[in-house]
Amino acid sequence: VAKTSLTSPPWPEAKLPDPVEEAKYHAEVVQKVNKMIATGQYGRLFAVVHFASKQWKITSEDLIMMDNVLEAECGDRIRMEKVLLVGADDFTLIGRPLLGKNLVRVEATVIEKTESWPKINMRFRKKHNYQRKKIITNPQTVLRINTIEIFPCLS
Amino acid sequence: MVLLSAPRWLRSRLTDRFWRVQEVLKYARHFRGRKNRCYKLAVRSVRRAFVKSTKARREKKRFLRALWVTRIEAASLEHGLKYSAFINNLLKSQVELNRKMIADLAIYEPKTFKSLAALAQRRREEGFLAALGDGKEPEGIFSRIVHHY
Repeated sequence: VAKTSLTSPPWPEAKLPDPVEEAKYHAEVVQKVNKMIATGQYGRLFAVVHFASKQWKITSEDLIMMDNVLEAECGDRIRMEKVLLVGADDFTLIGRPLLGKNLVRVEATVIEKTESWPKINMRFRKKHNYQRKKIITNPQTVLRINTIEIFPCLS
Repeated sequence: MVLLSAPRWLRSRLTDRFWRVQEVLKYARHFRGRKNRCYKLAVRSVRRAFVKSTKARREKKRFLRALWVTRIEAASLEHGLKYSAFINNLLKSQVELNRKMIADLAIYEPKTFKSLAALAQRRREEGFLAALGDGKEPEGIFSRIVHHY
């Protein structure tokens, strides 16, 4: 049968690379990255951390402000465990969805526990003589990220 | 003898009217026209400003999410992927970064974003191949397709 416009699908045919060769390549890359981490050939590390129901992109010497109360005194060291991504200049480690606790260590200190600036909440309905004004001050906590460390435990 | 009611020459007069007015006018100082000076006009403007700010706090979340989506779309188109394909395949590869983070990574960490786009592309191709299957027909079915051997 002659080839028409509908013999093959209109999208380009995608071919995956050979799984054996790919596995070898992957092992090589993992070993390289492990060596780089072990010898310490990275500059500044950044991490994406899930904390206080939000995701933050943090580096060392970073200040973070959360809109809630943390049950830790000022000056306490905190280890953040839910790390989604760690990256340096030459490599990134993407977690699916989280990275292991024996791979990354993010340390932070609680610096300040204050209230936010007084936000005004006003409700008004016209022609009904209805207005309510409320001043809200949310508690806030300020953290300083001390260090982000990675360990060569890749496999 | 004890006087139980106050005498008529004692009147209670408002003495801090100035400060009560200033409390409202201080929020109107940066407005345009007479509503930054005259109390009667300022009261209405300040009330509308407060109500608008409360409503805007809820809409800011929607607005920012739309902004992040636009940015992610632009960045993924630079790498040859549409936003829908990018996000869909990232979620299927169990990477749970939210749109704010992906937008920030696209701005400040271009190499990381490129690797995420490559991951999404690879997962997309694997999905297509899994969906297309082997190209063989299921057994026990009589069909009109002509096979050329």
